[in-house]
Amino acid sequence: MVSFCIIDSKSSPWLWGLLLAVLVGSGCQREEVRVYRVAKDPAKSGSPGMGQAHGQPGSRLPRLEYQVPSGWEEVAAGEMRLASFKVQEGSSAADVGVFPLPGLAGGDLGNVNRWRSQVGLPAVTEGDLAKLAEEVSIAGSPGRLFDLAGENPGSGEKTRILAGILHREGVAWFFKMTGDDALVAKNKPLFVEFLKSMRFTSPQGELPPDHPPIDGMGAMPAAASGKDGGAGKPAWAVPATWKEVAAGAFLISKFVVNGPNDTQAAVNVSMSPGDGGGLVGNINRWRKQVGLSELGEAEIRGQVTELETAGGKAAVVEITGSDPQSGKPAKILGAIVGQPGRTWFYKLMGDAELVAREKDAFIQFVKSARYSNAT
Amino acid sequence: MQLDRIIQFFSSLKLTVVCLGLGLVLVFWGTMAQVEMGLYQAQNEFFRSLFIYWKPEGSGLKIPIFPGGYLVGTVLLINLIAAHIQRFELSRKKIGLFLVHSGLILLLVGQLLTDLLSQESMLHLREGETKNYTEADTDVELAIADVTDRDSDKVVAIDYRRLLKPNPIQHEALPFAVEVRKFYVNSVLADRAKDAKEPPPATMGFGPQLVVEEKPPVTAMDKRNVPSAVIELRSGGNSLGTWLVSGYINQPQRFTHEGRTYELSLRRTRLYKPYSIQLLDFRHDVYPGTDIPKNFSSRVRVMRPDTGEDREVLIYMNNPLRYAGETYYQASFDTDNEGTILQVVRNPSWLAPYFACILVSAGLIIQFMMHMMGFVRKRRTA
Repeated sequence: MVSFCIIDSKSSPWLWGLLLAVLVGSGCQREEVRVYRVAKDPAKSGSPGMGQAHGQPGSRLPRLEYQVPSGWEEVAAGEMRLASFKVQEGSSAADVGVFPLPGLAGGDLGNVNRWRSQVGLPAVTEGDLAKLAEEVSIAGSPGRLFDLAGENPGSGEKTRILAGILHREGVAWFFKMTGDDALVAKNKPLFVEFLKSMRFTSPQGELPPDHPPIDGMGAMPAAASGKDGGAGKPAWAVPATWKEVAAGAFLISKFVVNGPNDTQAAVNVSMSPGDGGGLVGNINRWRKQVGLSELGEAEIRGQVTELETAGGKAAVVEITGSDPQSGKPAKILGAIVGQPGRTWFYKLMGDAELVAREKDAFIQFVKSARYSNAT
Repeated sequence: MQLDRIIQFFSSLKLTVVCLGLGLVLVFWGTMAQVEMGLYQAQNEFFRSLFIYWKPEGSGLKIPIFPGGYLVGTVLLINLIAAHIQRFELSRKKIGLFLVHSGLILLLVGQLLTDLLSQESMLHLREGETKNYTEADTDVELAIADVTDRDSDKVVAIDYRRLLKPNPIQHEALPFAVEVRKFYVNSVLADRAKDAKEPPPATMGFGPQLVVEEKPPVTAMDKRNVPSAVIELRSGGNSLGTWLVSGYINQPQRFTHEGRTYELSLRRTRLYKPYSIQLLDFRHDVYPGTDIPKNFSSRVRVMRPDTGEDREVLIYMNNPLRYAGETYYQASFDTDNEGTILQVVRNPSWLAPYFACILVSAGLIIQFMMHMMGFVRKRRTA
């Protein structure tokens, strides 16, 4: 009998026990050290796929400068996006995002059909795609614009997607506005102007390659330009050791400070209509630039000190982190001056010791600024 | 004979009752313990253990006070097998019972194997994003990546459990030893004041600018421990410096040693795959006019360079992607509806419960039919 064949081996329960002990034992033995080789992390080689925000350390993407249309509010970019905006009119809302994706990012046809499915439209073929595309200028280069309207298959709401596509230096740039049909249609001319206003600049500017990225206008709205914003450059007392350099298209002013052992720091001044993305969003953006993670609103506000200046109260923050490329200590001193209808941003960033040395000069500089129409 | 007595003990029905009783208490106690400990820790301490330990505070002692899930399950399994071997005869009459017992044994073994061999991780993808790795939900690793080469990085990933064991850690793939000065299971970081009197936690990278504060570990399901560690690298008896690594620091900290560049980071344990998955579209459909979810789905693209495979798959509730021995379930999503979170389960014994149920069902049907036929036959002869 089979059963007796098994029981003949009297040690069978022990064999089972042994087997289980081996299994339990082997299960507990986790691999403690693993060694493997992986392709370069795309997040560090310029892919936004890993959530590289604009100006974030390690990003090799070109910097993007643009004019923010009136009525658009810049918000924290979040993962995947280089910039993000919110448009709100009554109960209607729309979202605008700028997404750079490496390579063809699935091809234009795949993306357009994905967006079409999001507004309940059937897929199209490559031949139809050319007919659907409108010609548009993006950053001075010819791009394609798709205007897709339909009903959200989930909510049944009338939805419109405006999507601009530009292929540039191996990166597919997607500019997408999604939201309420009527609101997006009304904003189409502004969206087209927004695409036209794009400018790509070098990610490092004139600073040495191992220097932390100095935030030009970064994600600051381009409409901040004092030249056409009517605000003009404030009158201020510039410290003697600071050297003014070309500010770039959308900065009000820029200064470079040189320290011992070839260390360097830069002061950028910009202005934005409204709150320019808010205190928390901007400080978190700065934190990322020196490799620190975002903090909650309460924690941010706990780190901010108030400063009386000639142009009103300023929120001052000191952020210490590390240079993303060299690993050396880096520091940011930021001051945000809120005025009715606009916000001024002052940022001193660079070698940690140099920034610490220049702190008093920076505070005096911010305090000294007198604005043309400030009361 | 002593062996007979042991076999007698393991095949006794009393042992079955005791094991089932202990199992009942264990399930109740383990379930209640989740309130304080959280699901993960309670599972480990009550069910994935040989004993439940009492650890008097401050004594450093671990006193076993109750059998854990592994012990109860293993004894029950041995008991079932031993009783089966000793009492059952493989005859036509008892084939149904034999199948039922085989099914139960398979169920227990399968569950044990699942517990020992299965691996869970998460895949977070934004629309358009591609990844060839998943990340463990609770485990972290110290990753030391040699990033000198142009095309690829050589990564030495040290599991956090190893960081808790005696130091230093030496490995043939590393030209230096890693010594963990302190490991914080849960922590917060803050900027270090310029005039701070205490020395900085570390001398290199972010270390001089930050302070680290230990926090009590959290167990609630909606909270997460953020670990930090202060590590020292040593080579040839010399210190290369100390670094503060933390889950809060997104940016790997770079340094050079013997002409090669390395990056240090403490991150969630990564599990790399020979294929990549790209999120094409995430959908969160609601019933018209309401916020009530109707459907969550992720349209993904599976790309495998070594086989040339490139196809699209739709993952939605109760319709996971089963691929290369792993199952990708729709688990969660980003609040802006443009990102998805997939739970990834590798379970080599996932078929065991199916086979076990088939065996038990077949056994019960056969047993029932045999009884019924015997009854019918009896009635005819009467």
